[in-house]
Amino acid sequence: MNFKIPIFDVKNLSFALRENTILSNISLEIFHGEYIAIIGPNGGGKTTLIRMLLGLEKPTSGELKLFGKRISKFKEWHKIGFVPQRASLVDENFPATVQDIVKMGRIAKYGIFAGFSKKDTQVVEDAMRKMDILHLKGKMVGTLSGGQRQRTMIARALASSPEVLILDEPNTGVDMISQRRFYKLLSKLNKEEKITIIFITHDIGVIADDITRLFTINQKATICNNPKETLSCEDMSILYGIDAHLISNHKHNCSGENGC
Amino acid sequence: MLEILEYDFMQRAFVAGFLIATLASISGTFIVLKRYSLLSETLAHSALVGVAVGLVAGYNPLWVAVIVALFFSWLIEYLRSSFSLYSDAILSIILSGSLALAVIVVSLGGAFNNSLFSYLFGSILSVSSEDLVTITAFGSLALGVLLIFSKELFFICYDEEVAKVSGIKVKFLNFLLVTVVAIIIALSIRIVGSLLIGALMVIPTVAALQFRVGFKNTMFISLLFALFSVLFGMITSYYYSLPSGATIVLSVITLFIFSLIINKK
Repeated sequence: MNFKIPIFDVKNLSFALRENTILSNISLEIFHGEYIAIIGPNGGGKTTLIRMLLGLEKPTSGELKLFGKRISKFKEWHKIGFVPQRASLVDENFPATVQDIVKMGRIAKYGIFAGFSKKDTQVVEDAMRKMDILHLKGKMVGTLSGGQRQRTMIARALASSPEVLILDEPNTGVDMISQRRFYKLLSKLNKEEKITIIFITHDIGVIADDITRLFTINQKATICNNPKETLSCEDMSILYGIDAHLISNHKHNCSGENGC
Repeated sequence: MLEILEYDFMQRAFVAGFLIATLASISGTFIVLKRYSLLSETLAHSALVGVAVGLVAGYNPLWVAVIVALFFSWLIEYLRSSFSLYSDAILSIILSGSLALAVIVVSLGGAFNNSLFSYLFGSILSVSSEDLVTITAFGSLALGVLLIFSKELFFICYDEEVAKVSGIKVKFLNFLLVTVVAIIIALSIRIVGSLLIGALMVIPTVAALQFRVGFKNTMFISLLFALFSVLFGMITSYYYSLPSGATIVLSVITLFIFSLIINKK
């Protein structure tokens, strides 16, 4: 594992859509093994940033390197697993079983003319086991609950044996119990499988203990290297443009200068 | 029953019908799952421009139809991927535009005759040996392409963006799919007719989807429905002197209604 070359190396990245600036001069680096949360108000450019990292949007200006290569030269997309925002909102009539969906994660890796090998089957089953959906493999994806669908989409991303997992608000349409379970799974993947995790969330209080860095995006990026200490009501109020309050609970006590 | 197979033209009709049913139902599975059902209707009308030009200019209408359908399929895909236009709006524009063009070409050339009528509604019973060779050769090629790329196409149907991020050549495969569909449609309009081929492409898949089974099983059920419709439709049309294309389409619609009823939640 090379700790010196960042997985994502972003320099002065800007994005404008019909003369509206969405992102302005974003510079950041993301390294192997990190667990990064991205927060910010709706329309602040979080999803745009992720889409640029994935090559789905072209920046207006700036430079972007993936695993040390310019994005235009980068070919090893199987190293990046992506779970989109609408992951749990699948078309109920789509004719796919859980196993069909997870297998999709191997398609780009095994090529056009190659069949599905024993190793591929093993990797797909491992991904389903990790996400605790192996018992659902023959079920139609449209019949699953929101949480089960979410885990199916992560299993699909894991089936490509990624080094980094990018998730865009993956909890949309998922109940609270499934969300807690999901955060534990992400933490486990980061700590035990050493998968770099980047995800957009509004749920910062729940993950503050797990993440290594926090990026706040609202047209510009602010990087918090110690999210637990850096997050204050004032920071949150500035970021979201509202009067923010931290509410203490049994896990996250609000104290000191940042407490409210 | 066996009497129907004693005639050469019926044997050719059955072989051509089964080939078209196979091609239409398998390509139709991808088209329906991509929510692109109107593509088949649009390309069928576009192919009619080729037929009109072929009839007026004295070229083989089938070959000109293939070329024109290919041109329109690439135009549709280019407009869809390069401009922020709604897919169904693009299809609707090209459908009406190409039909208007076909009517004008035909009326200028004074070719509004039985030949054109047979391309509109199909003439499965007048399939020549030459037609059969053409359909078999190009149909096998189209089927081969669909089966080789079926995994990738299935992924694209499920989620185009995630497929792209995974390293699948989405743009290339989308162009390839519309190309294959254009060829299948151009080959089919002689048999089923440009006004009816869309039904054979879309309805078997929509009927198969009612069974809520996996992708491969859906494709298999769709294929069975299409083959059965062709068989039943042709036998019925033979014994009751009905137009074959229309009878095939009504057979597949009956299967669709049957699928809806037995799979009602």
